[in-house]
Amino acid sequence: MTALLASELRRMWSRHLVRIVAGLALLGIAITGVIVAVRSSPEVGADPRFPLTMLPDVLKGTSIPLIIAGWLLGASFIGADWRVGTITTLLTWEPRRLRVIVAKVLACAFSVFALAIALQAVLGGVLGLDAAFRGTTEGVDATWLRETSGVAVRAATLASVASVIGFAVASIGRNTAAALGAGFAYLAVIENLVRGLRPEWQRWLFSDNAAVFITGGNVGFSFQRTMLQAFVLLAAYAAALFAIGVVMFRARDVN
Amino acid sequence: MAVIEVEGLRKEYRGWRRGRTLALDGLDLVVPEGGVFAFLGPNGAGKTTTIRCLLGLVRPTGGRCRLLGADTPKDLATVIRRVGSIVETPTFFPRFSGRLNLELLGRLHGIGRKAVSDVLERVGLAERADHLVKTYSLGMRQRLGIGAALLKDPEVLILDEPANGLDPAGIKEVRELLRRLGNEGRTIFVSSHILTEVQHTADRVAILSRGKCVASGPVGEVLAAGRSAGLIVRVDDEAGALEALRLAGIPASADDHAIRVMLPPEEGAIVTRTLAERGLYLTELRPDEVDLETVFLELTRESPREASP
Repeated sequence: MTALLASELRRMWSRHLVRIVAGLALLGIAITGVIVAVRSSPEVGADPRFPLTMLPDVLKGTSIPLIIAGWLLGASFIGADWRVGTITTLLTWEPRRLRVIVAKVLACAFSVFALAIALQAVLGGVLGLDAAFRGTTEGVDATWLRETSGVAVRAATLASVASVIGFAVASIGRNTAAALGAGFAYLAVIENLVRGLRPEWQRWLFSDNAAVFITGGNVGFSFQRTMLQAFVLLAAYAAALFAIGVVMFRARDVN
Repeated sequence: MAVIEVEGLRKEYRGWRRGRTLALDGLDLVVPEGGVFAFLGPNGAGKTTTIRCLLGLVRPTGGRCRLLGADTPKDLATVIRRVGSIVETPTFFPRFSGRLNLELLGRLHGIGRKAVSDVLERVGLAERADHLVKTYSLGMRQRLGIGAALLKDPEVLILDEPANGLDPAGIKEVRELLRRLGNEGRTIFVSSHILTEVQHTADRVAILSRGKCVASGPVGEVLAAGRSAGLIVRVDDEAGALEALRLAGIPASADDHAIRVMLPPEEGAIVTRTLAERGLYLTELRPDEVDLETVFLELTRESPREASP
């Protein structure tokens, strides 16, 4: 299992899409750093000065692209296997399908988590430099550090959960497009329908629970749910979809 | 010891549009240890489905398969380290190099980079090993597939049309490689439609038709069983010769500007004497050699397929 996991991790990190996502994110971070530096004034009392205490809010905002990226990476990781047909080659080397799919999803979830943490760390570093040289670091203390790292870890966890869901849907549909289409249909159609027709069901929606999990509170929501409850629900969705993916992967023919 | 045992194997595919299709209809097959075993059949006969069942890729509808004594797919993992395979056109990650693709596979069984380099050398891909697979020709991908199959240094090789996409020189190389591997004591189970190649490479053969095995055994035996031995005779007066043979009680028939005499080759003197006695002199007398293609076509000749239910 370790060898299989190591092989899948190597494959994940060798993927062009991972490099493209990381490259685009780094470009975005660099542009953000420049814009913040230009707009922020280094003079005390000037307005606006970029405060580093804003970083947790910035990280909350970046969680959305991280979730989308996680979904995309998860879906395409297994989708590419089905599209190219490499799953056949792999199964002739490791026929235990449960191991194969578990190793793949672990490699995917771990990689997305690590990538999200790394990108947020780079963003924090760039904005930290902006704040140090052209803004202010007032209010930066242990409490702030705890809050900031908490948001970063939660955003990375959520991106990881999204990657598992994307992986599971692509595994069921046996291609990336199925997962992307299903994701779009869910977010654009189903969630809006539920909000409009059955507002009491809002507590079960992915994006609302994701928002609770990231923000750590229920401000602006019509339901009460703790951060932990929101996470457990999201993890349960991911686990249920993955379980369906596993059952189908084990039962279906590989042609 | 049998390396591959297949008993009453059935596979039925069900689709929304095409309904049910019976790919394997109670196939029985035994492949003994060592040598090259050719698995022949026309398109759609069930060769690839059989190989997929053996490798656990397809779940049989009925019957059983055993590979190196292990039931597949249940116990396949216990023997997979000893089995190398190619299923149809080998698939690899197109944006990874040939070397990286093999290294990722090799890592699953603790196979190191040295072995990967050796196998790339062996299949003639050393110079292109670090190029992306998407730049490979079909023949090069096929070579990479053969390399992947050899990477485990397997006791059993299951190869589905390994010469697909190869040029004549490549086909010859594969033929020699298979023969060499078979001579090393490995068991090579190879499906192919290039019958003349198989005839010179294989020790044993099985012929599949409509999901069933219609002939199996050593190549010589299958050839002998497929068609009775005879003689081909050429003579200027074909009609006169046929009449002379008929009067002498020798079974014969016209066959493509020649006469096919149903006597074993060692009784050629009888034909010569019979015809010479009537003033008919031979321009050619030779044994009617039966090749695998002829036997294959005779055994797999079938009425038009009935529509699937």
